[in-house]
Amino acid sequence: MLEALTDALSLALDPSVLMFVALGILLGITLGAIPGLSGDMAIALLLPTVFYLEPASALGLLVGIYKGGMFGGSISGITFGVPGTPGAAATTIDGYQAKLKGKPNRALHTALYSSVAGDTSSDLILIFIALPLAAVALKFGPVEFFALYAFSLLLISALTRGQLAKGVAACALGILLSMIGRDPIGGSLRMTFGMPELAGGLSLIPVLVGIFAVSELIVQVSKAWAAKSRAIVEDAKEKSKMFSDYDAAADKLPFRDFLKLWKATAIGTGTGTLIGALPGAGSSLAAFISYGLAHRFSRNGDEFGKGSMEGVASAEAGNSATSGSTLIPLFAFGIPGSATAALFGAAFILMGMSPGPTMVRDHSDVIYALFIILIYANLVNLLMGKVLLPYYSKMSMVQPRILLPIVFCLAIFGTYAAGNSLIDVWVLLGAGLLGVVLRLYGFPLAPLILGFIVGPGAERALRQSLLIGGEWSYLFSSPIAIGFYATALGLILLFTLLLRNKA
Amino acid sequence: MMMQRKGLVVALTAATLGAAVGPAMGSEGNGDSPLGNSPIRLVIPFGPGGGSDMTARVLTATAPEFCGPRIDVVSMSGAAGLEAVNYVMNAESDGHTLLVTDYGPIVTSGYVDDVEWSHDDWDPVMLFTEWLPTVYTRADHDIDSIEDWVAQLEAEPNSVTFAHAAPLGIVHLPLILFEMETGLENRHIPTSGGGETRSMVMGGHVDLGMTLPASIAAEVENGTLKALGTFADERADVLPDVPTFKEAGYDVSLPAWLMIFAKDDVPQETKAFLQDCFMEALATPTAVSMSDRTNAGIDPRGMEASADLYRNTVEVVGNILREIGEID
Repeated sequence: MLEALTDALSLALDPSVLMFVALGILLGITLGAIPGLSGDMAIALLLPTVFYLEPASALGLLVGIYKGGMFGGSISGITFGVPGTPGAAATTIDGYQAKLKGKPNRALHTALYSSVAGDTSSDLILIFIALPLAAVALKFGPVEFFALYAFSLLLISALTRGQLAKGVAACALGILLSMIGRDPIGGSLRMTFGMPELAGGLSLIPVLVGIFAVSELIVQVSKAWAAKSRAIVEDAKEKSKMFSDYDAAADKLPFRDFLKLWKATAIGTGTGTLIGALPGAGSSLAAFISYGLAHRFSRNGDEFGKGSMEGVASAEAGNSATSGSTLIPLFAFGIPGSATAALFGAAFILMGMSPGPTMVRDHSDVIYALFIILIYANLVNLLMGKVLLPYYSKMSMVQPRILLPIVFCLAIFGTYAAGNSLIDVWVLLGAGLLGVVLRLYGFPLAPLILGFIVGPGAERALRQSLLIGGEWSYLFSSPIAIGFYATALGLILLFTLLLRNKA
Repeated sequence: MMMQRKGLVVALTAATLGAAVGPAMGSEGNGDSPLGNSPIRLVIPFGPGGGSDMTARVLTATAPEFCGPRIDVVSMSGAAGLEAVNYVMNAESDGHTLLVTDYGPIVTSGYVDDVEWSHDDWDPVMLFTEWLPTVYTRADHDIDSIEDWVAQLEAEPNSVTFAHAAPLGIVHLPLILFEMETGLENRHIPTSGGGETRSMVMGGHVDLGMTLPASIAAEVENGTLKALGTFADERADVLPDVPTFKEAGYDVSLPAWLMIFAKDDVPQETKAFLQDCFMEALATPTAVSMSDRTNAGIDPRGMEASADLYRNTVEVVGNILREIGEID
């Protein structure tokens, strides 16, 4: 083992590998920060380079893109109000509000530090306790997954800021939209209205980008056109000054201020690591659950949704903490638990390795090199983020009348580029209109996104459970499932009692 | 400060325009090929990074030398793959836009979905490989063989849970065919894909699953999983000890395949040229090496053999779908 470690160190610390890691992170952050594009897309496009590069260099490039892309998605969310990746949707809730209050740099740095913290913890878990955690992950079947999804939906009040009824309605609408397309069990078409183009359902990226970015553009343009009275014009000029007078140097986040967010970061890190290890759960689910739990346990819960740094830290830590743990099922059993893990699995295969437990035994030098790369890539991510963030925060404070149309164009190009699908572009525009209507009537958008993300998995898990068990009581046959239901109800009771005491 | 802001705005605008026009200005390859200089597009109706994508990329690396133009792989998974199929169907009939797919988006969809083309509108150019659906379970399960499985179902109908990806997909139709042949019934548990199927099997949440041999070869070798049988005429190379269902006495065989299709109105000489240059490319040491590394199992066949297999699959799938009432 010592010899393998020594070989791994020389592989991982080779200057060419360091260069590829840095290049990957730069590419990942840049692409992730463009609405509609993601690090996953870059990984898929660059997979063939694995044929031509040394294994450690190829892994360094792909790991860099992955980590950079994960954080880059949050840059887009905070800067433009458009989550660059599904996992950044929860970060956007408070991150964008912070930007609208003139604090984008603070929010970006909070996201960077919590991202690195979550990512590093997750990588250490992958390296040292992958197998035991994978064994726990295997215990999650349809019954347990349905309980997890139900648990995440029960935390929804964290996303609704006092509008529980509207939040539940928005969530239900999101679940309904997720059901468009082919029934996952029977295969029949649902709510496609005779359009075969909808057979595959609505994709997450266009819905996400449309709901956030396109609706924001329409609302902003409408506000500009509707500004008829001097009072509104003066108010707009006042707000405009916030952008033109913005000084990134004054909007800093001292590290000691970040340390005060330790609880939110820890909740996100722990939640994200656990959920990331579950095949199919996803970083967006982890981020939303982290956000919901942090809200529950925060002393400043009222600040969530209004630009709270705790909100940013918990969501981003939850999102990034899935990065290492999502590879656990791949390493332990050869099961790709996420689209990114599947891409890494393809990369391993291209390198002549078979994903699974034999990978470490048969290719220990390359795998240990990967572990080392995973750890130091976080440091490179941190350094590169520190260099790039001041520019992104200045970019975010460009006047909205200039920024939003550019973001809109990038969103369309990015959405099309992600799937080569014109249908996705129409969905993007349609989701934008839906977002406008929801905003007009005061419906929160985040619960809709949560419902859309959770809907397919929840429906599939519920119906699989009923097919396997044959009756509804089967849903309560697992101690893990009962634990989730009990915890959710306990949290709701606790929160209700606390609110009553406060009142 | 103002100049810096303006600079940022200009940079953003340039980036937007660059993203829009950049691809249109890309070089398109060179050569004296009868196909000209325009790139050949291999359109895949699935997401990037999967088996089809990786297999097709062997051609992008090796075929330009023989075919002439650059070869691009384009993933279009929208509308459950129908968008890719329609894109190729609506493209020029010049042989530059080809479809790379298994039988799901082209054979099954042609029957069950509302499409504006028929099976006769497609001609196979060549076949990359056959994929052999294989039934498997976890190592410690009581069912050890096809015979054990049948015996359990005969003793207790509907007592076996069977996980598979995609209803009516390439790892589901063979199960239906087996049930039609034997009259036995399992409880079908659709999943989101091979990964979820494997989790459910390994976690003990279902009894059996079906997948393609390369996905489980390593686990079968190290004893984590056991493969029961393959729905093909011959055993899989990577699972030589696993019998076929035919060997077990059940006349069921429904291999999946990965083929390159052109529209039927593409000139025959163009299709012949494509077949020849692709087959030449796949015979090179580079292609063989790439195929081995990726476990793609590329074993190419020409137009005629591919067409026979295609027509046979159309017939078999049609019979299954009629039998279960999916089509008239």
